Amino acid sequence: MTLPPVDIARISEWLAASGLTALELRGPGCHLRLRQDRGTVTPMEAPSARQVVTSPGIGRFLTTHPLHSTPLAPEGSVVALGQIIALLQIDALLMPVTAPAGSVLAAVLAEPGEIVGYGTPLLELHPIAE
Amino acid sequence: MIEILSDTALATVQDLGRTGALNWGVGTSGAMDPLALAAGNLLLGNAAGDAAIEIQVFPFAVRVHADCAFALTGADCAARMDEQTLLPWWSGMARAGQTLRLGLPVATAWPASRAYLCLAGGIDVPEMLGSRSTQLRGAFGGYAGRALRQGDLLRAGRPGGDVNGFGAVPPALAMPLQQDGLPAIRVLRAAEYDRYTPASHAAFWGEAWRITPQSDRYGYRLAGPSLTPIAPIELRSHGIVPGVIQVPHGGQPIVQMRDAQPSGGYPKIGTIIEADLWRLGQAPIGSRFRFLETDWATALAARDANEAWLAGLGRLANLQRLGAAAA
Repeated sequence: MTLPPVDIARISEWLAASGLTALELRGPGCHLRLRQDRGTVTPMEAPSARQVVTSPGIGRFLTTHPLHSTPLAPEGSVVALGQIIALLQIDALLMPVTAPAGSVLAAVLAEPGEIVGYGTPLLELHPIAE
Repeated sequence: MIEILSDTALATVQDLGRTGALNWGVGTSGAMDPLALAAGNLLLGNAAGDAAIEIQVFPFAVRVHADCAFALTGADCAARMDEQTLLPWWSGMARAGQTLRLGLPVATAWPASRAYLCLAGGIDVPEMLGSRSTQLRGAFGGYAGRALRQGDLLRAGRPGGDVNGFGAVPPALAMPLQQDGLPAIRVLRAAEYDRYTPASHAAFWGEAWRITPQSDRYGYRLAGPSLTPIAPIELRSHGIVPGVIQVPHGGQPIVQMRDAQPSGGYPKIGTIIEADLWRLGQAPIGSRFRFLETDWATALAARDANEAWLAGLGRLANLQRLGAAAA
């Protein structure tokens, strides 16, 4: 099943009106990812070599462990599959945000210390240069 | 099952303490940082008071003989599972054949000196007089009534499993307590408080106290201004509990800690509230802190705040486990 363009347009309108920053819809054979910024809805890039790690839930986005002063993975560093590259703080709990593949952490997309929601883009990963 | 690889004499099995046996002359023992022990247990879905290993001499290493979920809390010792570095206050899976290594406590936003290794289901040692804590003086409880040695094998109450690791924010960051730039410990006046000079009272509350190297699980000897009674005090030996601040003849106070004897004869100037004993239990030797006068109501509220923090962590950790099981 693929979504007809009319549905994508309608979903975009809902997203623009909702105040949410991102929407992700998965179904058999379809994967829709939209981003909203001040009423403008744009499709997020299709998963390619460049990968965006999104938030697994609602919480405070941290790039540094609360006890430490250096980031878990600084921008430009090489990260391994499964490595904890950021944290999501939910009150007393800390959830890991892990690298989905060996890659280079190219950019931190969300503001560290801010509350993020499910699907908020957090980090951008690039393939490790050949 | 894990095997102790280090030959350090001072790691012991502890839980939240053997309360209720003081009338038989049996001290409480238990974790010097009960919040860290309870938090590690809650990350694993254990009861808050399950037994864990308290580690206070580093480096420390264990070999894993059977898969088991574990949590490490307390002092950040830059721990590694084989080559993989572990975050402090974190849980995860230990796999058979792996080696867990803890280094010296590192300088962090919260200086601490004791680490806790919790296993799923708790460390499986028999309960004695209502507790699994090691009673060193009586040589019972914990693992064979003694500190752990190289080659000791400890079993997890619930081996196996497969968990995705997550962690806790150390309570020292959630519940900071400072006074004039130093860590603070809240204290109630004790029976002989009024028998000290006004200058001693002013010094007790106003000056910083340093933890001397003559400090361990039995008690902390402090260094600071001399505390002087108005007239010499002679007392018969009487019951004491962890947290009691005694003043021997030299005028330098001693704080009774978890392995304290159940009785003593020195005069008591104050008692550290139960809710703050973990703060002192983690304070490194050589560090300085201040005593902060408090009252009964605040002491109870502080205990409630600790309980609420643990309850919140336990609830979130359970939700997390349920979510992971459903996914």
